[in-house]
Amino acid sequence: MLSFFQWIEATSLAMTINNSKYAFALIESFHLLSLAIIGGAVLVVDARLLGLGFRNQKVSEVAAAARPWLIGSLIGILLTGVLMFSSLAAGKYYYNPGFWWKMYFLAAAIVFTFAVRQPYVMRASAVSGTPRAAVIAIVSTGLYLGVAVFGRAIGFL
Amino acid sequence: MEVLSLSIVPFLQIIQDSDLSTAFRESAYVWGIVDGVHVIGLCVFLGMLLFWELRLFNIGVRSASVSETWARLSPWIMVGFIIMVASGVILFCGEPVRYWASIFFRIKAVALVLAGLNAIAFHYSIGRRLVQWDTEPLPKSAHVVGIASITLWILIVFCGRLIAYNWFAPLY
Repeated sequence: MLSFFQWIEATSLAMTINNSKYAFALIESFHLLSLAIIGGAVLVVDARLLGLGFRNQKVSEVAAAARPWLIGSLIGILLTGVLMFSSLAAGKYYYNPGFWWKMYFLAAAIVFTFAVRQPYVMRASAVSGTPRAAVIAIVSTGLYLGVAVFGRAIGFL
Repeated sequence: MEVLSLSIVPFLQIIQDSDLSTAFRESAYVWGIVDGVHVIGLCVFLGMLLFWELRLFNIGVRSASVSETWARLSPWIMVGFIIMVASGVILFCGEPVRYWASIFFRIKAVALVLAGLNAIAFHYSIGRRLVQWDTEPLPKSAHVVGIASITLWILIVFCGRLIAYNWFAPLY
């Protein structure tokens, strides 16, 4: 695995980022902006599942309004994340426990979102106020919160 | 002879030299937690603000009227804002002299003031009778306010991130 990380860090893409004074910081800024959009796109639906926020609208309507923003910001955060990862893959992230925990939470968040949450909330019959809806909302927000917390921890570990 | 100085720097230096500020600055964990809370506050604030701005352009959760959208989203926007400001003030007090000297901090501060004025202007004009826009189409000026708000907040996020970088000589 370490050799894979070393290969990534040696690609011309990673070297271009590392040779630029400003590239990493600008990529980081777009990453942060995507994070804020994910925050809203996840929270507005999870809140609805808990009977908060847009409680007069159907769960599926709120989910449909949030969906392009969720998918768009996920693409944005993954692209910028891969770029940042590539530039310091072997030199920093491989040895950083915060990075690995972030990846575990990210994988779990993406699988849960597209295998469990989206199929549930996009259905016209989706309702809030049931234990199932509450569990989906809490797990969803919890997983994304985990990604953010360990993402922040990378800088301190 | 002493020269009368109106610079804020000596005052910021007093804050920075205080025991509390020093302890906070030197505690990586406490700093990291406050920084993390600042980012989570941003997520709640800006993420929810996005759905409000979208509604001004008649996208987002469209079956909710303009006034209902504000009623549903404003508690989240306010709570996110309070978390963001409180954690931001704490972070500022940890290293005020360096922040004050950063061009990105200054741009961020000006953009924050402009975003605040933009929000106040909206709520005392178009926003004064939100229910009016439940039945009438929103005026063009609502779109101007929406675009100004999003632009300023993107600038604030970018400058906030870039404060960490000392690309330019400190301003004193």
